[in-house]
Amino acid sequence: MKALVLAALAVLFSCDTALADRPPLPPPAAPGPPTGLADSAALRATVFGTPPQDIAPLPQKVPLLEMDLALPWARPVPAIFWFDKRLRVWLSAQDRPAPLAIVISGTGSDGNTAKLSTLRAVLYGAGYHVLTMPSPTFPGFIVSASRTGVAGDLEQDGQDLYDAMVQIIHHLPRKVVVTDIDVLGYSLGGSNAAIVKSIDATEHKLHVHRALMINPPVSLFASVGRLDKLFAITLGHGDAGIEQFYQQLYATLANIYRASDRVELDEDFLLGAAASVLKTDAQFSAAIALTFRLALSNVFFAGDLYSGAGVVIDPRHPPRVGDSLEAISRELRGKSFAEYFTRIFAPYYMKRRPGSTPETLIAQNRLEIIGDALRGDPDYYAQTNSDDLILDAAELAWLKATLGARIVVYDHGGHLGNLGDRRQAADMLQMLGGRWGGAAP
Amino acid sequence: MRAPFLLAVLFALGGCASVEFHHLPPETPAADNAANIAKAKSLAAAELAAKQAAAAKGAGEANAAEEVPLYTPADAPPLTTYDPWARLNRFTYRFNARFDEALFLPVANDYRRLPSPLRSGVHNFFGNLAEVDTIINYTLQGRLGRTVRSMGRFVINSTAGIGGLLDVAAKLHLAKAPTGFGTTLAKWGMHPGLYLVIPFYGPSTLREGIGLAADYGTVYYINLADLYRGGQSWGLGVTNAIDQRANTDFRYYASGSPFEYEQIRFLYVRKLLIQDAGLHKREPPPRPNPNLPAGE
Repeated sequence: MKALVLAALAVLFSCDTALADRPPLPPPAAPGPPTGLADSAALRATVFGTPPQDIAPLPQKVPLLEMDLALPWARPVPAIFWFDKRLRVWLSAQDRPAPLAIVISGTGSDGNTAKLSTLRAVLYGAGYHVLTMPSPTFPGFIVSASRTGVAGDLEQDGQDLYDAMVQIIHHLPRKVVVTDIDVLGYSLGGSNAAIVKSIDATEHKLHVHRALMINPPVSLFASVGRLDKLFAITLGHGDAGIEQFYQQLYATLANIYRASDRVELDEDFLLGAAASVLKTDAQFSAAIALTFRLALSNVFFAGDLYSGAGVVIDPRHPPRVGDSLEAISRELRGKSFAEYFTRIFAPYYMKRRPGSTPETLIAQNRLEIIGDALRGDPDYYAQTNSDDLILDAAELAWLKATLGARIVVYDHGGHLGNLGDRRQAADMLQMLGGRWGGAAP
Repeated sequence: MRAPFLLAVLFALGGCASVEFHHLPPETPAADNAANIAKAKSLAAAELAAKQAAAAKGAGEANAAEEVPLYTPADAPPLTTYDPWARLNRFTYRFNARFDEALFLPVANDYRRLPSPLRSGVHNFFGNLAEVDTIINYTLQGRLGRTVRSMGRFVINSTAGIGGLLDVAAKLHLAKAPTGFGTTLAKWGMHPGLYLVIPFYGPSTLREGIGLAADYGTVYYINLADLYRGGQSWGLGVTNAIDQRANTDFRYYASGSPFEYEQIRFLYVRKLLIQDAGLHKREPPPRPNPNLPAGE
C-alpha cells in the first residue's frame, strides 16, 4: 500500500503549470464494459494485496543471488539510461538438483518486487530453484535486453525474454543442477510466460515444461485501454483532476499525522494511515490508474527515445545525463497508452512489419495468437479472478473456453489481490507439479 | 584495461553474455510475514483504541483548546520543488548512486550476513548514543515531556541495556523517537529551504543539511566516553554509517526510471513538509504561495 500511495504521489511530481486539456484519443480496443471497475472489494483487494495472515506458509530462509548480464544483442545504451546497462535477475538456488521456476514480473516492474518475493518464497519452499525476471516493459529490461526499445509487443517481448532466459541458463552457477524448467508470471508477465513457452516449442533451447499465467490480460491493449479509461473517468484528461487528487492525499496525510503522536512519518505510519487515505471507490480507482500511468511514463520515454518518434523527446537533441527531465515527465503525465500506441508503437512496428495495420498489430497482441497451443497443449495453466479489472466478461469466457479444466477462477481478489494466499499458492504448486485435477467445486 | 576490453570484444563476437554475480543476504520470508501479521494486529488494535477513546470523549465534549486545525486540499504545497542547485544535485545523486553500488551497498550486504543479535546490538548502541543529541534538541524545541522520555531511555538502555546494546526501554513502552537540529529549526519556524543532495548521504534540504552538521558538531563537542575524537572515532563513524545503510531499504535506480531523481525529490520534500506540519499542531496550516515551489 505504501508503495502504491507513494507511487501515486510520485507520478505527480513536477507538474507546476497546468497543461492544456488534450483531446482524448480513443483507446485502440477496449470492447465491452470492464467487469470490476465499480466493484469496491475488487478495487480494495487490488490496492491492498493479500493480507499477511492469509499468505501461504513460507520458508524461514531463501538464498538470493543477483545476476547482472550484459547481453550481446543489446542496443547501444543511451547516456540517460547509464544505470540500466545490465539486465538484473535474481536466483534462489536449491543445494540439490531441482526443477527451475522462472517467474516474470508484471507491467513495468522489475525482477525483485514484493509480489515476486512472495512467489519466490512459496516456490523455493516447494523445492524449486527460482529465477525472477523483470517485465519486458521495465526500463531496465528495455535498455539491456530489448532488440527494439519499443516495448509492448507480445511476440517481440517474448522473443527478447526467451533469448535472455537462454543466456541466463547458460550462465547459471555450475552447482545449480536443473532437472526441469517451468515458466510463470503475473499480470502481463503471465501472458509473457505463455508466449515464451510457445516460442520454445519451436526453438527447443530451454525445453520449457509447464507455463502458468496468473491474472493475465487476454489483450494487452484492451486491458490497458481499460486503465486509460479508468484514468480519464477518475482524473480527467488535464491537470486539474490529478492536482486535486494530490491535494486530497496530502491534506489527509497531514491531518492524520498531526492528529497522531508520531515523530517520524515512516512506513509504519503510512501503513496505519493507508485505510484513511483512500476511502472512496473513485480514490482507489484513481490510485490504480495513476500507478499504471507512472509505469507507462517510463515505457513511453524509452520508446520515444529508441524509435526517434519525437513525441516528447527531440531525436536530434536527446536529453543528456544531468539534464532536467521535469518538462518531459510533465508532458508524459498527460499521455495515455492510446497515445503511446498511435504515435510510437504502431508507426514503429508498421515500418518493421510491411503490410501491417494498427488493427493487425492489436490482433497480434492478443493471447489468441497462441490459442491453438493453449487449447491443445495440456501444460498451459492459468489462475485469475472473476472480478479482475483487467478482463471483461468476454475475455474471461475465452480463457475458460480455451483452457478448460486448466484454469481456476477465484470469486474475489481483483487484480492480483490474492497472490500468495493459501489457496492460490497451493493451486499454483499443483499446476506446476502436474498434479492439478481441476478446480474444487 | 586492455584485457577486459578484449574479453568484452570476444564475448560480443561469440554472441555470449557476460555476467556478474552478487551474493545477497538471504531473505527471511516466514519471519517477515510474521512481523507483518503482528504489525497489522497492532495497527488494528491502535485504531480500535483511538475509536473508543474518541467515542468516550464524545464529540460535543471536545475541548476547543485541544482541537487540531485541519488541513484542506488548498493547503497542500505546490507540486514543484525548490531546487535551484538542480545540476549540482543531480551530479551528486549520480555520484552517490555509483558509490553506493560499488562500495557502500556491497559492504552493507556483507554486514547483513552477520548474526542478527550482533547487528541489533550495534544498531541499539548507536541509537543510544544518538539519544544525547535527541535530548538536547527536544529541550531546544520546548518539548520537555519528550526530553524526559529520551533521558529515561538513555539511562535505562545505558545501564540495564548494557551500554546501549539492548533496547530495554522499548520493551517498557518507551519507543525510540529520535530528533535532531533540523527538526529544531523547523520547530522554530524555518522552512526546509532549497533541496540538497549531500555526498555519501543522500536527499536533504538546506535546513536539514545545517541540522546534520550541527548534530555532528554537538556530539563531537560533548565527546561522550571519548568516542568521538581520536583514532577509534573513524572506525565508529564507518560502522555507524554501514549500520544505517544496512537498515535502509533503498537501492539507487531500482526503479529503472530516468525520472527517479525527480520522484525522490518530490517525495522527500513532501514528507518533510508533513512532518513540519506535525510540529505546529495548534497552528492553522500555512497557506502555500502558489507562485513559490515547495520548500522555499
